[in-house]
Amino acid sequence: MTQSGDQVSFSKLGKADLVRLAGEIDLANAPAIGRQIVAHVTEAGAVLIDLTAVSFLDSAGVRLLDALVGDLDDHGTAIRLVVGEGGAARMTLQLCAFRDDLLATDLQRAADELDG
Amino acid sequence: MSERDVTQDLRIPWEEDPGELYEHAPCGYLTTLPDGTIIKVNETFLSWTGYRRSDLIGRRRFRDLLSSGGQIYHETHYAPLLSMQDDVQEVAFDVVCADGRRLPTLVNSILGRDPAGLPRVIRTTVLNATERRGYEQELLAARRAAESSEKRVRALQQIVADLAAAPTEAEVAEVVVRAPGPAFGAASSSIWLADPDRDLLVAVVGTDPAIGGDDIPRGSTRAVAEVARRGDLQVIDSLVEAEAHFCELAATMRQAGRNTVVLLPLTMQVGDSGVTEVRGVLGFSFTDPRELTDSELRVVRLLGQQAGHALDRARLYDEARRREARATFLAETTRQLEETQRLMARARCLVDRVVPEVAEWAAVRLQVGPAGLLADAGGPPPDAERLAAQVAAVTASGEPQFAAPGGPDAGCAVLPLTARGRVLGTLALRTQVAKRTPADTVFLEDLADRAGLALENARLYEQERAIARTLQRSLLAGDMPTDPRFVVETHYQAAAQDLEVGGDWFDAFMITEDKLALVVGDVVGRGIDAATTMGQLRSAVRALASAEAGPAKLLTRLDRFIERVESARMATVGYAEIDLGTSVMTYACAGHLPPLLHEPATAPRYLLEGRSAPLGSRAGRRERVEHRMRLLPGSRLLLYTDGLIERRTRPIDRGFEVLAREWARRRDSPMPGITAGLADILVGREPPDDVCLLCLTLGTEERLERSIGADPMQIALLRKDLRGWLVTHGVDEETAHAVLLGCSEAVANAIEHGYRDDPFGQVEVAATVSPEAVEIRVADHGLWRPAGTDAARGRGLQLIRQVMDHVVLDRSAGTTVTMRRTRREATVSES
Repeated sequence: MTQSGDQVSFSKLGKADLVRLAGEIDLANAPAIGRQIVAHVTEAGAVLIDLTAVSFLDSAGVRLLDALVGDLDDHGTAIRLVVGEGGAARMTLQLCAFRDDLLATDLQRAADELDG
Repeated sequence: MSERDVTQDLRIPWEEDPGELYEHAPCGYLTTLPDGTIIKVNETFLSWTGYRRSDLIGRRRFRDLLSSGGQIYHETHYAPLLSMQDDVQEVAFDVVCADGRRLPTLVNSILGRDPAGLPRVIRTTVLNATERRGYEQELLAARRAAESSEKRVRALQQIVADLAAAPTEAEVAEVVVRAPGPAFGAASSSIWLADPDRDLLVAVVGTDPAIGGDDIPRGSTRAVAEVARRGDLQVIDSLVEAEAHFCELAATMRQAGRNTVVLLPLTMQVGDSGVTEVRGVLGFSFTDPRELTDSELRVVRLLGQQAGHALDRARLYDEARRREARATFLAETTRQLEETQRLMARARCLVDRVVPEVAEWAAVRLQVGPAGLLADAGGPPPDAERLAAQVAAVTASGEPQFAAPGGPDAGCAVLPLTARGRVLGTLALRTQVAKRTPADTVFLEDLADRAGLALENARLYEQERAIARTLQRSLLAGDMPTDPRFVVETHYQAAAQDLEVGGDWFDAFMITEDKLALVVGDVVGRGIDAATTMGQLRSAVRALASAEAGPAKLLTRLDRFIERVESARMATVGYAEIDLGTSVMTYACAGHLPPLLHEPATAPRYLLEGRSAPLGSRAGRRERVEHRMRLLPGSRLLLYTDGLIERRTRPIDRGFEVLAREWARRRDSPMPGITAGLADILVGREPPDDVCLLCLTLGTEERLERSIGADPMQIALLRKDLRGWLVTHGVDEETAHAVLLGCSEAVANAIEHGYRDDPFGQVEVAATVSPEAVEIRVADHGLWRPAGTDAARGRGLQLIRQVMDHVVLDRSAGTTVTMRRTRREATVSES
């Protein structure tokens, strides 16, 4: 079993905090991943969450992202979820009807949008 | 004197004056009135007593002449008897003479009455009993002396008998200290025993307040030590004498209210030389000043010798018994230590032997591993800091340390556990008695020596065992090949007992892209040699296998290899090569148990072809043969070592039967865990021997069935299986994503909601695939809770409905979700 530590990494891209997620996100690890993200991005001006390396995303993962977006919106922090053109994460998020303005396909473009 | 009765019986040749006869008769005559007033007395009485006639007649009563005791007796016995029976015979009275002398007499009296029957006169004869009384008194004194001597003798006899029955020094001391009371009437007594090892007189029993009850150094100036040194009986019969010689004793005598003290050395004559050795001192005291007679002193001395001999005998007996007990203890300890191989178990065994038999607390510390090893028993432990310092000192020096008696941690000892000149650790202990003799020290050191060797052997065993285990694990842990065309499942279970590692192994590897090799083997022997040999053989098989060779040739080459690796001789090997393209299997068994094959829709069978002798066998058939056969898709093949079916309580034929039956029962079981389950049912969790299994399934499962625990962590494992299964059935990626998501959500629901209160619940998952669709059923036996306000749960169900084409929820028994997803190719081809 991979630990959530291997699945989350933090860095900066432009002005935004970049959170890269990888592997499978499900009921077993979503809460731990959520705690890690919250601990890192509380003071951020903008947040980019890169889901392109996520191979599976279930409703627990959706719940996590939904809560995160809600919190950041309340703080006036801009957020983008970067998903690939296809893949597991995009499929799940589209099925759950996430707002189009939240989803991005290209990381750099999303970063530029947030900076601008 | 008016009446005189003269009887004339015989006429004698001379005239005898009756008056003369009366006056000078050989006895005294008294005539008294009934009140005792003397009215007539003869000359004999007067001459005996020195009274004048005029002193008595009419002036004194008879009783006035008696001693005071006599007067009382006269009043209480003599007078009443006389008035009742008119006469009294042989009454002993002391008559007090005129000069105060006492005259022992015997008195007879007759009471005369008048015609009316009233008392008129008393006639009394008085016999001189001086001689007789003296004789009587002598007799009485002699009897008293004899009696007291007899009493002493009897007491002494009893003591001698008791001494003979007392086997130990302590018991002898008990007997001796009890003697002075009954034998001499002593008020109290104490006993000291000589301890030659420490030049000490040890107070054993008794607390004579005058003499004391504490240990006394032999060199002391105290009376007891003096007597022990000189070996002579000492009688101190007054405080004055005590003050003259032993001030200290005089003080305690005065304090205790004693006037006489006897100090008796308990002696033992050594050989014929006449030299006596003092084994102890018996002291006893008397409240009154007491002069001991010669005969008493003889008895006292005799007691001293008897006690000395008894002590000597008891000491020999004690020593012999202690030596014997210790020898037995050491032998038994060595034997018990050898019963177990493991280091910790031996350390544990050692402290459990030592406590409580030798010590009340014991701890073994071994310098093994980074943290060391500690086993202790009993308590309380001594001061931790002092102990740590001692342990460090003993570890550094290799010399034992014994705490000084009377000091802190008295009775404690720290002994080095050494083997082959190296200090392996320490044995620390505290014995019940703080006093330790040289024999005790020798015994403890002997114990530590033996324990050191036993523990060192266990340490070496442990080391070797660890190396062998590591080696074996590293060899068995290699990755099994993964390929959609087959599944390999293995299981290795070490023997339950603390046996050394065995030489069983399994291996599976790809010879070419399409050729899979399977090996299960067993090297003769156990331990590090077996593990090393197993490693060599495993490498040899991998190196010698080739696309062209085949099993028989491989075995022939292994035979040649054995000529150089003697330890591998007689190893058995089951070897199979499977061509994944054609499903043709070629196998050979070099002395190994036959593989078990289960093909779809038939009973399992043992593959008995391709058999030849173990590797390097000289007696067996060495021509290597192999057998070729085609496997049906879905076939399952099992290779195993003899530990799986050989049991002492079960014939091997029966073992084969049971294995085949259990294997058949598992025909439809999922591959993961199948080998572990099989080992579990055949030999249990604690097999008597190592067990090694390798199971191969050719082709993939038509139907995927899993049963998983109610643990979110399990969902990822299920997805992994499911993803592989979908891939091998050629299900397209989008459909596969959808099925994975739908299945995950359904299982998550079951775990999160159905089994919210039951962490041990099981979720059953079954999946089938057809050219048109994938169908999955997820069932739990938990409680159904309406989605209601639970938004998260609602989202899960919504997702399932979105990704699957057809969803049915059945809540009749737990919850069963049946989902179907049409394959994309199918929809494309249909449209």
